[in-house]
Order: sequence, then C-alpha cells, then structure tokens
Amino acid sequence: MTTASPSAAALRTAATPYLFLAPALLVTLAVVLVPVAQTVWMSLHDYILYRPQNVPFIGLGNFTRLLKDEVFWISLWNSAWWIVLVVGLQFALGLGAALLLNQSFWWRGLARSLIIIPWALPSVIIGLTWTWMYDFNVGVLNDLVLRLGLVDKPVPWLAQPTTSFYAIVLALVWQGFPFFAVTILAGLQTIGQELYEAADIDGATRFQRLRLVILPSIADVIMTALLLRTIWVANSLDVILVMTGGGPGYATHTLPLYAFLKAYSGMEFGYGSALALVLTALLLVVVFAYVRRAAKDLGR
Amino acid sequence: MKRRTFLQLAGAGALAAPFVSPAAAQQATVRWWYHFDNPQNSPAELVAAFEKENPGIKIQAESIPWGGGSDYYTRLFASLVAGNAPDCAMVKLNNQAQLLQMGALEPLDSRLGGWAARSDISDSIWNVNKATDGKQYFLPVQYVVLYLYYRTDLFQAAGLQPPKTYEDFLAAAKALTKGDVYGFGMRGGAGGHDNWAPFVLGNGATFDKGGMVSEKALAGNRFYVSLMRDHKVVPPSAPTDGFRQIVDGFKAGRSAMVIHHVGSSNEMVQALGDKVSAVPVPKPAGAKGWTIFGDESNAVFSASKQKDAAFRWISFLSTANNNVAFNKLTGQLPVTTSSAATWDVHPKRFVEASAASLPAAGVLPDLPKTADFVRTVWPTSMQRALLGQITPDDMMKAVEAHFHG
Amino acid sequence: MIDRRSHLRRIVEVEIPVLLIVLFAIGPYAWMMITSIKPSAEISQWPVRYWPDQPTLQHYRDLLARTTFSGNMRDSFIVALGASALGLAVSIPAAYAFSRFSFAGRRLLMTQFLVINMFPIVLIIIPLFVLMRRFGLLDTHLGIVLGHSTFAIPFSIWMLTSYMNAIPRELDEAARIDGASRLQALRFVIMPVVMPGVVTTGIYIFVTSWNEYLFAMMLSGQSVRTVTVALQLFIGEFTVQWGLLTAGGTLIAIPVTILFLFVQKRLVSGLTSGAVKS
Repeated sequence: MTTASPSAAALRTAATPYLFLAPALLVTLAVVLVPVAQTVWMSLHDYILYRPQNVPFIGLGNFTRLLKDEVFWISLWNSAWWIVLVVGLQFALGLGAALLLNQSFWWRGLARSLIIIPWALPSVIIGLTWTWMYDFNVGVLNDLVLRLGLVDKPVPWLAQPTTSFYAIVLALVWQGFPFFAVTILAGLQTIGQELYEAADIDGATRFQRLRLVILPSIADVIMTALLLRTIWVANSLDVILVMTGGGPGYATHTLPLYAFLKAYSGMEFGYGSALALVLTALLLVVVFAYVRRAAKDLGR
Repeated sequence: MKRRTFLQLAGAGALAAPFVSPAAAQQATVRWWYHFDNPQNSPAELVAAFEKENPGIKIQAESIPWGGGSDYYTRLFASLVAGNAPDCAMVKLNNQAQLLQMGALEPLDSRLGGWAARSDISDSIWNVNKATDGKQYFLPVQYVVLYLYYRTDLFQAAGLQPPKTYEDFLAAAKALTKGDVYGFGMRGGAGGHDNWAPFVLGNGATFDKGGMVSEKALAGNRFYVSLMRDHKVVPPSAPTDGFRQIVDGFKAGRSAMVIHHVGSSNEMVQALGDKVSAVPVPKPAGAKGWTIFGDESNAVFSASKQKDAAFRWISFLSTANNNVAFNKLTGQLPVTTSSAATWDVHPKRFVEASAASLPAAGVLPDLPKTADFVRTVWPTSMQRALLGQITPDDMMKAVEAHFHG
Repeated sequence: MIDRRSHLRRIVEVEIPVLLIVLFAIGPYAWMMITSIKPSAEISQWPVRYWPDQPTLQHYRDLLARTTFSGNMRDSFIVALGASALGLAVSIPAAYAFSRFSFAGRRLLMTQFLVINMFPIVLIIIPLFVLMRRFGLLDTHLGIVLGHSTFAIPFSIWMLTSYMNAIPRELDEAARIDGASRLQALRFVIMPVVMPGVVTTGIYIFVTSWNEYLFAMMLSGQSVRTVTVALQLFIGEFTVQWGLLTAGGTLIAIPVTILFLFVQKRLVSGLTSGAVKS
C-alpha cells in the first residue's frame, strides 16, 4: 500500500462494502429495473396489448376496479391459504428429511441424491405427470385406491372444488420439499461437533437437543429459506396452470395466476400489472417484518 | 423520457447491422413461425423444395412451442411489440381481430388476385377466413371439423343408431352409461367450447347482442349442463377434462362418445380398430346445427420487409401437392379441393365425416374478446355451472356480459 | 447384543422413515419412467397396466435421433452452468459485504434484492423481451443466463448471507489481524468454511435454471433452445407425445441427480472437518 492520507483510507474503508456489492447490483438492476418500471407504468393505464394506439391514463382506476372484483378476493384468499399450506408442508417434510439424512447409515449418499429428483424436474413435467396420475379415466392413483379398497369408484381429483386445491398442493409439496431438505442439511453442517458433544454431556434428550441446540444454530438459514420459498411459492403458477388452469371454476385461482390470465388471455396488461403490484405489495409487508427481525439479529 | 432515449441509443446499434451488407439484398430471407403437434416432423423437405424453385429466397422456419396457444401467441405478440416479428407465421382466426387491431397484418387481396391456385381452395373456406373489414389477411393452409366419435360395437350391442338429434344423443348416452363406461366424454376444461357449441350455438344461440340469453340459447345450455348434473352420463371429471383426457378416456374404453376431429383419428384407430367411427355432431331435429371449423392459416405481417417473398412461401404451402405434404406433417386436412380425392392419411370414414360436417361448420366471431372468451370466460363459467355453483342461465348471462356487458 | 439393538433401532428410527420419504420422492418419477418404456398403444389403458408386456426403448431412440433433444440438453447445460457461475461470482462478494460490514443503506439494499425476486415474472417478461432485443441478446445463451440471474442473484445473496452469518466473526478478524486483506480473508478463511452453503446455492441456481421455462421460452429461438422448451414442443395442440415426453422427463432429471450424488459429499466435508475446530 502506498502512503494514503487518513481520510482517503477512511473513504476506501467506507467504499469497500459497496464495491463488493457493485457487480450484483449492476446485473440485477439492468435486467429488472426497466421491466419493473414499465409494469408500474402499465398499471396506471388502461393498457390492452392489441390496442397499442389507444392507451389512456386512468390513474388508480385499475386498483379501484380490483377492489370490486370478486375474483380478485377469491384469488387472494386462495393464495394466502395456498402459501401457508405449501410452504408449511414443504418445510415440515424437508426438515424431517434433513434431520434423518444427517444421521449416518450406509446408503445415505444414495438417499440424499434420490430425494433430489422431484426438484430436478421442470414444472411442466411435474404438472403433466401429476395430472396424468390423478386422471379419472386412466390414472394410476385411482387404480391404486380402488385396488386398496379405499374407494368404490374412481375419484375425479382435479374436477371437484373440494379436492382439486389439495391435489395441487400435494404435487407442489412433492416438488418443493427437497429444497428445504438440502438447504437445511447444508445448514446442519455448520454446527460444530462440539455442540452436539456438549449437549450429550449435559444429558439432553434428543428432542431437547433438537429444540435447544440444532434449531437455534440454523435459525438464520431456516428463516431465510422460509422467506425465499414463500416468495417463490407466492409467485409460482406454472404447475396450477398445467394441472387445472385455475379451475374448476375459481377453485384453484391464485393471485399470480389471475394476473397471468388477465394479461395473456385478455391481453389486459394494465389490469394484470395492477394485480401483480398488489401481490408484490402484500409480499413486501411480510418481507419488512422479516427484515426488521433480521436486522435486529445482525445488529447484535 | 430519459429511459426511452437510452433505449433508442441502444437500439441504434442493433439497427445499424442490416446496412452492413447491401450485397446480400439479392438474397431474401423469410422468417416463418410454425407449430406442429409432432416434433419429429420437420418442414425441411418443403423448405428445400421451395428454395429450389425460388433460388433468391431462403426460408428460416422456426418452431415455436404451442403451450395451449398461450405460449405461441405470447411470443408472437411480444415480438410484434419488440419489432422482432417473423415475416409470416401460422395463425388462427381466434386472434385475427387482435392482430388486425394492432395493425400487424398485411392484406393479401392484391397478391391473391395474381395467384393461380386460388380457386383450388373452396369459397366457403375463403369466406370463413375473411376479416370483418372484408379483406383477406389469412391464407388457409389446413382445417379440421369437429364431429362425433362413437363406439360402433357398443352402439351395436345396445341396438342403437349413431345419434342425429339432441334427443337421440341423450337417449344413447343414457343407454351406454353403465359400469366403467360413460355415455359421453364431455370436455369442460380448456378448449371445451367446441363440445358445447353444437348444443348451444346449434340450438340457435348467437354472439349478437342478446344472442346468448335468448330462450333457445338458454335451453340449449340447460340441456348441455343437464348431461352432467341431472343425467350423469358424463364422467365426474368432465369440468376439468381437456382434449387429452377425453381422447385417452375414449381410447381406454371409458366413454362411448366424444366430440373431436380427424386429428385424433389415427391414434383412436390404433387403440380401437374398427370399433370406432364418426358422424356429424347432433343437432335439433330439422335444423342445420352448428359445429366448429378448426382453422389454421398463414399470414404475412405488415412490418415485414420481405412481403413478396413471404407471400410466395405461404402460397407455396397452400398449393396442391405441397399442401398435401404439409398436412401429412400436421395430421390435419388439406384445404385444396384437388387433394381431397387422393387423401389417404386418415381412414376414409373420418374424412367423410369431416366432409359431411362442413355444411354446418362455422367459426366463433372475429372479435377481440373472442380469445379471452375461449381461454377464460367460457371454461370458468362452464365449470361453475357443471359443478352447480351457478345456474346454467347465470353462465349464459356471464357470456353475454363478456361480449356486450 | 447392544450392537444389534442399536442397529435395529437405527433401522426403525432412521432407515425406514428415510425409505418412506425416498419412495414418496421417486414414486411419480418411477411412474413416468415406466410410462416411457411402454409402447404407445399401452400408455393409456384401463385398468392401468403396471408393467408393459414388451418394454421398449423406442421413445428414447426417437427422442435422441429424431428430435433436437440432445442439442437442447447441451444448451441447458451451458445456460445452467452460466447462471450458476454468474450468480455465485457476483453474490459471494455481495453476501460477504452484507454479512461483515455495517454501512448506510444496507437494509434497504438487502430488501431491494428481495423485492426484485418478488415480482411475478410473467409480467416483466414482455418488457424484458423488448430490452433483450435492443441489446441483441435474443436467442443467445447470455440472454437466458441474464434472464435467470433475475431470480438467481437475489436468492444467492440472501442464502449466502445467512450461511456467512452462521460463521463466527472472530475467524476473519483473526485473519485480518494477521495482515490479510478483505479479499484474502474472504478467499482463504470464509470460503472454505462456507463451502457447503456455496455448493447448495450453486445447486439451487443450477436446478432452477435447468427447470425454468418462461424466460427460456421467451428468450430462446432456433439456435439456443433449452430442454424445457424442447419438451414443450411435445405437447401439441391436439396431441401429447406421451412417449417422448416421459422419456424426456426421465432423462432431464438424471444430470441433476448425478451432479448431486457427487457434490453431496462436499456438504459433509465442508465445515465439520474444517477450520472451526482448530
């Protein structure tokens, strides 16, 4: 290092974190900022894609329309229930799998790789495969439950409002639990062996060890994974789109799906953008609550 | 404002590229988008034949995922907005009004005037494809007509004739529903309006103001919904079943009748052999009835710089033998009259059923709201009616409100 | 005796539950695989046939010989690797900054990365398409990689920050006292310890990019086409090529699974065996 004045050194120190951040900021802003700005712009207009010469500014018109839209409210509640169920079940199953796969047994490596499979498949394939298994006429699931004597005639899983929602939730849980399993498994590796040993010496039961030693040490990883997954699930629509397209009726409509249908089948990009922005705003509330908590933790 | 300037600057670099090679202007490259159901089929031979006939033109054929129609049109609309659209593409009437309103289509009338093979395509097909402003933007390339597949063996065993009227249809469906088999494999999911139209449009419903809530329209829809709600002659999975489910169910022997078109005939014959045949869809006694004409055309886009070359290519595809070769790749029916006699890709009884259905065949009206009707309004309100969440009449009111609300 | 009992206990408490989870995980995949070796005529039948009379590899032959699938696999590989490389390269320093510095706007910036992630892709896709077109990035690997970075980077930064937070600060402070620069501290002290997290994040990006459809569909063309887009071509307007589709689906999961089989060892050997102990 050359002789730098104290203030230059201070400046350099102050600038360091921004230098570390610069590449990430550059890439994401370039790719996202313009499209997002455009979405905001569209949400304030009656923008219909096939009518590009006539795009009147309507202020918050799209947003007031949305408050009176019955389907918006149905989709909103479906979305909320959907996120809680899917993320909750994915997490529970993923945590269980991670804890088990952290034990040692001779085929652990194989088991770890095999549970990755659902996650290694594209959503389109997952949607089609599950639709195929749920099929009323030729589906394997109906054949199985018939053979097992659980029902006496095939069940139209995806065509009944009572079952279609949960049928899709199951497919999504299947798709997403490996993510939690892998993420938590990696988190578990950061726990030093001596922590386990200390707990053992104190005579902790296994449940106590889980609650008092393991979970607190990976709390940060778990919270982040939950947060990111919530955002991801909240925005995902491809599996629903393939399996039911939102039906029957509005039974499997979620907010992003509704925004998608408005934008691409009605070509109503203005209204679709407004729906998307509302979804983003609602997610922001969740995120802020989380970030405050995280910031507090970091400030310790 | 600032952003726009930035984008223009960025765009200038991209725009400069075409001026680099004026020498290549002799060689026109035509970009054409297509979607085939079978990805193993490639238009390469047709392209080679065309390029041999037209040494100055190169065809760049791009297959675009269909994705239930939404992917294909999302891509198309995005490229039109971005100024990156192909010169010509396969298109359907459902989206003609939208494309027209965008000013994206090139009228073909003057070019068609000088095209020798024009008269080989029947007037009825030309008329169906004519736009609301009276001009011709679409050059037809293939078609299908929706008809009724039925199981000959089951009908014979029950001593029934294939149905001609709604009453026959209901009677047959009731008689054939037993055990694992349902009388009619109804399609209530995406695209199911083509199952519904023969019973509702066929009974007199129209897309004019009040046309969906007329007495006849309401009666037709009540009849259709009652097939599931009251008579239970359709599988309970009908509300979300799409074409895949109804065709698979029929092939597996789970239903005795389905409404589809010649495109699935070969796989049905493969599964059922002689036990499957087809007749036109049922209609009211003494009336003409109504069924869907499944259209597919090629269109040239107004932004194209190679309009003449593009037209040359799409007209090539709709000319006698080329049209036959094209339809062998897509599994639909050629539009050219001259090829009807020699067509042997589908078993004759299905081609005949298609021809017999033509007089009653029509298309949904060419309105910007038609695409949304087909893709969301119809499926959601139909499903709700089939599940009893709304009455059949409420469903028709929702359809009326979509077009005239 | 004790040995045997603990062995039995491990089977009941660990191996059987793991077996159940594994069965749940591979069940639908196995069904897809069985479907892929059925002759076309046997695919949709009632009652369901669980094993074909004459298993066939015809669909695989068709897939590899008569479609562009193998080339699409290569494109997918390039895109997924590119997305992982780009994602990790810019996220590791960023996560380090978030985890180890306190500076003005830190919370805002962190939130900003999440907000980016929260936007429904379907609505930014057309503006993004226009943007990519302006820069001539349509139908290139780089274009799709950049598209995938919209979700890869925010995700990686957040995950890596939380993994780094789990590492005691004393570790790099000690290195700093020994005269290491920030970059050296990151490279030689933090990286080895945080490796399981980096690997997990890398896998996440790889898998998500490998499976992503919408960006790939919009931004690809004739010269660059990922497997997800290619698979979509098997779902036509009036037919679904079940044989090709299930064969493709079966193949598509294999590279990721094999990749994981190799890297999962890194998950174990990272921290426990590494620096923290000493």
